Amino acid sequence: MATERSLRFEGCNFFRQRVILSTLSGKSIKLQNIRAKDDSPGLRDFEASFIRLVDKITNGSRIEINETGTRLYYQPGILLGGAVEHDCNVQRSISYYLEGLICLAPFMKHPLKAVLRGVTNDQTDPSVDTLKATSIPLLKKFGVDGEGLELKIIRRGMLPGGGGEVFFSCPVSKGLKPIQFTDPGKIKRIRGVAYSVRVSPQIGNRITDSARSILNKFLPDVYIYTDHMKGVSSGKSPGFGLSLVAETTAGCFLSAELVSNPQGKGPAVLPENLGRDCAKLLLEEIYRGGCVDSLNQSLALLCMTLGQQDVSKVLLGPLSPYTIEFLRHLRSFFQIMFKMETRSFDEQKGGEKVLMTCVGVGFSNLSKTVK
Amino acid sequence: MEGKEKKKHMKKHSGPKADKKRKRYLKDLGLEGEEDARKRNPKAFAVHSAVRMAKTFHRTQDLKTKKHHIPLVDRTPLEPPPVVVVVMGPPKVGKSTLIRCLIRNFTRQKLTEIRGPVTIVSGKKRRLTIIECGNDINVMIDLAKVADLVLMLIDASFGFEMETFEFLNICQVHGFPKIMGVLTHLDTFKNNKHLRKTKKQLKHRFWTEVYQGAKLFYLSGMVYGEYQKQEIRNLGRFISVMKFRPLIWQTSHPYILADRMEDLTNQEEIRVNPKCDRKVSLYGYLRGAYLKNKSQVHVPGVGDFALSDVSFLPDPCPLPEQLKKRSLNEKEKQIYAPMSGVGGVVYDKDAVYIDVGGGRVKESQEEEEQKPSQELVQTLIATHATIDTKMASSKVSLFMDSKPLGAEDVQDMRSSLPKEELVVDPETGRVRRKAIFKDGNDDDLTGEDSNQDGETSDEDQEESDDEDMDVGSENDEEGDEKMSEMNRRPIKRQKAEDSEKKEIVELPAFADSDDELELSSAEEEDDMGVVVEENEEGGLDRVEESVSEHDEDSDEDLKIEDIGNKFESRKVTSKKTKQAEKHTPLSRGGMHTATDSGNSSGDASNSDHHSNSELDTEVSDSEDQNIELRIHSSKGPCGKMTKKDITELLVEEKYEEPNDPCLETAGALKWKEDLAQKAAETFLKQKRAPNLRKLVYGAVAEDEGEEENNQDELGGLFHVSRPDKESRCKINGLDCSKFPVDSPQDWDQEEVMNSIRDCFVTGKWEADKDAAKLLEEDEEIYGDFEDLEKNIVHKGKVAMQIDEAEAEEDDEEGEEKDVDEDEEDKVVITEEEEKQQRLQKKRKQKELFNAEYDEGDVTYFDELKEELSKQAQLNRAEFEDQDDETRVQYEGYRPGMYIRVEINDVPCEFVGNFDPHYPIILGGLGNSEGNVGYLQMRVKKHRWYKKILKTRNPLIFSLGWRRFQTIPVFYIEDHNGRHRLLKYTPEHMHCGATIWGPITPQGTGFLAVQSLAGTTPDFRIAATGVVLELDKSITIVKKLKLIGYPFKIFKNTAFIKGMFNSPLEVAKFEGAAVRSVSGIRGQVKKALRTPEGAFRATFEDRLLMSDIVFMRTWYPVSVPKLYNPVTTLLKPVGEKDSWAGMKTVGQLRHEVGTKVAHNKDSFYKPIKRQKRHFNPLHIPRYLQKSLPFKSKPKNMEKKGEAPRDRKRPAVIKDPHEKKISALLSALGVVHSYKVKNAKIKHRQQHKEFLKIKQKEEEAKLQRQKEAKKKIYRIIGQREKKRLKASLTGKKQR
Repeated sequence: MATERSLRFEGCNFFRQRVILSTLSGKSIKLQNIRAKDDSPGLRDFEASFIRLVDKITNGSRIEINETGTRLYYQPGILLGGAVEHDCNVQRSISYYLEGLICLAPFMKHPLKAVLRGVTNDQTDPSVDTLKATSIPLLKKFGVDGEGLELKIIRRGMLPGGGGEVFFSCPVSKGLKPIQFTDPGKIKRIRGVAYSVRVSPQIGNRITDSARSILNKFLPDVYIYTDHMKGVSSGKSPGFGLSLVAETTAGCFLSAELVSNPQGKGPAVLPENLGRDCAKLLLEEIYRGGCVDSLNQSLALLCMTLGQQDVSKVLLGPLSPYTIEFLRHLRSFFQIMFKMETRSFDEQKGGEKVLMTCVGVGFSNLSKTVK
Repeated sequence: MEGKEKKKHMKKHSGPKADKKRKRYLKDLGLEGEEDARKRNPKAFAVHSAVRMAKTFHRTQDLKTKKHHIPLVDRTPLEPPPVVVVVMGPPKVGKSTLIRCLIRNFTRQKLTEIRGPVTIVSGKKRRLTIIECGNDINVMIDLAKVADLVLMLIDASFGFEMETFEFLNICQVHGFPKIMGVLTHLDTFKNNKHLRKTKKQLKHRFWTEVYQGAKLFYLSGMVYGEYQKQEIRNLGRFISVMKFRPLIWQTSHPYILADRMEDLTNQEEIRVNPKCDRKVSLYGYLRGAYLKNKSQVHVPGVGDFALSDVSFLPDPCPLPEQLKKRSLNEKEKQIYAPMSGVGGVVYDKDAVYIDVGGGRVKESQEEEEQKPSQELVQTLIATHATIDTKMASSKVSLFMDSKPLGAEDVQDMRSSLPKEELVVDPETGRVRRKAIFKDGNDDDLTGEDSNQDGETSDEDQEESDDEDMDVGSENDEEGDEKMSEMNRRPIKRQKAEDSEKKEIVELPAFADSDDELELSSAEEEDDMGVVVEENEEGGLDRVEESVSEHDEDSDEDLKIEDIGNKFESRKVTSKKTKQAEKHTPLSRGGMHTATDSGNSSGDASNSDHHSNSELDTEVSDSEDQNIELRIHSSKGPCGKMTKKDITELLVEEKYEEPNDPCLETAGALKWKEDLAQKAAETFLKQKRAPNLRKLVYGAVAEDEGEEENNQDELGGLFHVSRPDKESRCKINGLDCSKFPVDSPQDWDQEEVMNSIRDCFVTGKWEADKDAAKLLEEDEEIYGDFEDLEKNIVHKGKVAMQIDEAEAEEDDEEGEEKDVDEDEEDKVVITEEEEKQQRLQKKRKQKELFNAEYDEGDVTYFDELKEELSKQAQLNRAEFEDQDDETRVQYEGYRPGMYIRVEINDVPCEFVGNFDPHYPIILGGLGNSEGNVGYLQMRVKKHRWYKKILKTRNPLIFSLGWRRFQTIPVFYIEDHNGRHRLLKYTPEHMHCGATIWGPITPQGTGFLAVQSLAGTTPDFRIAATGVVLELDKSITIVKKLKLIGYPFKIFKNTAFIKGMFNSPLEVAKFEGAAVRSVSGIRGQVKKALRTPEGAFRATFEDRLLMSDIVFMRTWYPVSVPKLYNPVTTLLKPVGEKDSWAGMKTVGQLRHEVGTKVAHNKDSFYKPIKRQKRHFNPLHIPRYLQKSLPFKSKPKNMEKKGEAPRDRKRPAVIKDPHEKKISALLSALGVVHSYKVKNAKIKHRQQHKEFLKIKQKEEEAKLQRQKEAKKKIYRIIGQREKKRLKASLTGKKQR
């Protein structure tokens, strides 16, 4: 059998994209020169941890890493799913891993029930709260639905100690529906979570007030939950933050978030400032607009690609660099090119948008069992 | 005759007469005219039971919903690919004859030999690809997968043959295409009755196989070796109106039934190593789904390949343009069958082929009036001088009035050759090769190259192996190879060639003229201005010149109406010199077509005519041909008057003269047609938006290869490595999906805030969504209403207005007569506006009504259907307005396109052993379908297959596109989900099988065959089934019983030995259940120190030393990893059906002649059982005490002999007594006999009595019935009369 030659990539950027797309497309990948010129060359712990997680949810994958860790060969197996527990590395937050899992979860053999432990909120990655508020409803749009689809934050863990725990479960789907998601609608409500662990419970209220002061200029329906966790469920380090989500009439979710500086790093942040800045970030996100917020652009595009052989359309805000690279990867893994048209709207409706159109590859869940 | 009894008259039960009689009878009864049973017999339709009614209702609803198919998105393209018609049947049944007749029916052409698929236009909207399916099971399997319609030929004089059933079965497994039976050899039946009977029999058998009422066609007899015209016409009609259901596999995978194959391998490589892997191009219509470039395909019979290049070509057999007429005209009845050697002009990516020897057999009529264009080709064929000699003598004028240039001029001008330089267009990012003139030579850099080049071109000529499939046309083949070679060669070599001009000139011309052409044309594309200067090297134009000179001799008698053809064809020649090249040496008689190379000269004219007609169609539309013509005309060295006149005439007649001088010089290239406009368009586009596409996909999307080449190489030797700093730091950047805000806006400012105001529900809404406006509109629609209670009419605003308007109108009508024209116009406008308003209102109301009305019975099914049809519409509309080039990038090559596919690394046998009778299919593979893994499937041995299948015997599977040999392991699922190994398949039951094979989506059907080679009278399909699951590991286990013996027994504990070999093994099984043969259950406890492997076990009861202890374990079974694709297409011609893979052990034993080695222990021996002695049950005394009396052992004393007084004495009769007893017994016998007889008699009497009684009863009933009938009739009549009276009574009174 003439096996395909594996795809080669340089460096470790967009590591997750490559691993995920490789798993979904069945094409093996070779990553070379991973931090080859760096002082500490090779894969970092969090990447290794991600690879381990992928190994846990698949069956028959082959992973080869050379001694220095600068080269990785990954031949994907079949997505297995089931109950998985994983201790995520605290260098990155849980959502680093979760973003990958969300992409793979609908295509498992058995419904995925994953328990991830580590950092739930940090400054580099989107927080789990945001993923819960935006990615899950997006998956529902593509027909991944049912009892099982949920994301629960059991414990909160902040940097540097971590100690958070998240439960993610997702049902298995046979294929994804094509979507036509070109009208974002109008924002009808803004919700948010102001969380605080191992600090004064008043901080939540302070954040809420300052954020509302800005958002109420636009919309009366703003409600921010204060989530103060105590005891075991508060993780190992102190911290607080805010995650905001704006929901539109058409069911789009735009999000923004901000987290305090981790203990011992950087100056202390005033909760009022944090709340205000976060609200402004949300406005910024609304200005960018689109039907999918900037975090989930790639997820939406992936789901469109993996849909049936029908035309899918989605309206996005400006493409993030991550998404742009993702588009390139989609082309090299699935030979899918998106038609991109820029759309500009009236003056009072934010910045320019991009209308992404593609024909799905007709992906079907090969792991699922039929009886 | 008279003696014979006449046949009795049978009463008619059906037919008109019977109907009439029945009516009369009913009339007699007074029940006439009540046809409806419901009316006539209301009682029978009355509701008797609500439950039953509900049940029947449920049932009807069930049946109704059962009829629904799951609605699918309709993905059929607007211009669908030809329908694949597979003509199948056992040998000698008339397949080829049928195909020939069908082709003749549709195209009026006669094919002598049919090889490979034949594509024809059968109607305004349908094309057919007809292909014959031989008797080889490989072909049958492959074709069943691509067929849309199967014509199943059956020899009626013989009946069904095994192949037919096999094929039906294959079809059932791989999705069921439409199947139509065709009965042939019906003329062999002499007896009409027998014929009818056979027909009926065959029909019903066919129906059970396909479906009830499947169409079966009868082809009665042959006339001059062909089927009757009318019957074929009917069959053709049936085929061309047939509708097809989409098959899942076919619609989800792209596939190509290749109708042409070419070897593109470098001839040099073949010379060096004749067995080197080949590069092959395949052509065909794309079917099924979208095909992406660089995707994987499987070629059944060869293997898996990645597409190295895909390109689409103009349709060789296009559907007619939509015209309002009934039937096709002769020109539109096209046929395309390159392997059979028909099809006229063939457009390739880099060449045009003109078919000269044609399939038409109208030679006699048309031989006299040869078309001039035919002459052109003929003259080309008949050229005797080689091109380079002609070239030397030929002259070229580049501009209209310039001095013609000869070969010598060219050599002079060599010094000022243009040098090319790469320029990246800042706007489009396209890399262009600008020509720069320079004085110095840089020969030394490229000298080496040129030498090589000389060599290759040398070798190019030497090669004339008959590797090609288009047999007779070596030249064509050669040309092809050269072209492809040219493509590969870096363009830089041009300079070298220039410097070595002399050397090259000595070579036969077509070797390098080709180069020149390629180069010049390539450059033409880039920069029009330079084109002319570059051509001075002479390649292209000289060839052209030689051509044009040549036919100037025959030009004089041109007819004007044929000019179009002529120039068109010449254009083709000039544009693609390749063709000229091909035809010049054709003087030898080598034809492009394979079949007719013998009688080519005779046929040439006809086929030519054919090709001309095709060319003609091309002529009319494109403008640049005009330019082309002009150039030709101007080129003549002394300008023959006739020709010029003609051209001018033509120009005047047909075309507008192009004004753009630039265009005139540019000549043949079509793309330059409206360059300015295009440029403007692109400019506008760019202005409109930053090119996102380029930002994301880079310039790669535009032209990939060129850029790569040019960026990396300097002078073909040095690799320029420009470390891109940005990318360097990017490749190890932070992997994060967040999109941070670079320069946050100041959200405190009012302007900034206003920029997103409308994103909130509190902002402004669009007109069609604004609640307030919608309310207003509603008022307009529902404005009028009448308050019934108060008798007041409320009027909406609009209604009032309209009323007023109407009133005005009325007024105006009166006035209208005396208004001026201007006013009239105004009035018209206002009227129109009003009209539109009214129309709008009407439409809205209608929509509302529809919505309201339809709401009631919209089911889930309807909704789903609606949704899917919307999706289908969107799919069609989305990319419709884009040109094919970009469209292909977005959605891939769409089905219906005629495409050319290049594949690398094909085994050389594929080319060497090519047989056009065997279909070549390119089946596209989905994601990860190219990988291998374990497949779990549900299998059932075919009920007609005579043997059962053994685990681990190699079996050939047909699954997805593939045919492959693998080793299955059969299993059955136990109640607890365990997969237990089976040694053999069950006889009449499904079982599971696991194989190591290609990943194929679940739910795909497959079939298995034991061997492909040879023919057996038996049914060949061994098993069928479906794929259930894919995995990378397996879970099959087999039972393993471990046996041990007790060597020491305590109460309930025993020491067991012999089950394990080491304490470690025991440790693994601690806690495992064991059992004795007598059924005592126990558990493994702990290992003992001695002997090795012994352990302590506890049981629920005391063991005996004679007991055997065993443990039931499950041992995982491994599936051998054999995946051996069947490579039938690589076998030599004639042996393609003799592929033999791995043999079974049984076969090997049979061949070698060894017998099965038997294990002596496995023999069945008579069981000798020793009589077992059991000790009497001993119950301890203390236990006895506590037992109830019933269970207590009773110590009964043995009975002694009866005492004397209790014994009875024996009776001894005396003779008299004996007599008496004898008599009594005799009397008793007599009496019993009598009683028995009497009983029988009585029984008989009673029976008769009953009979009589029954008869009486029946008579009585009959009487009563009659009476009742009479009474009821009378009552009924009375009732009727009364009814009539009551209806009409009022009037009478």
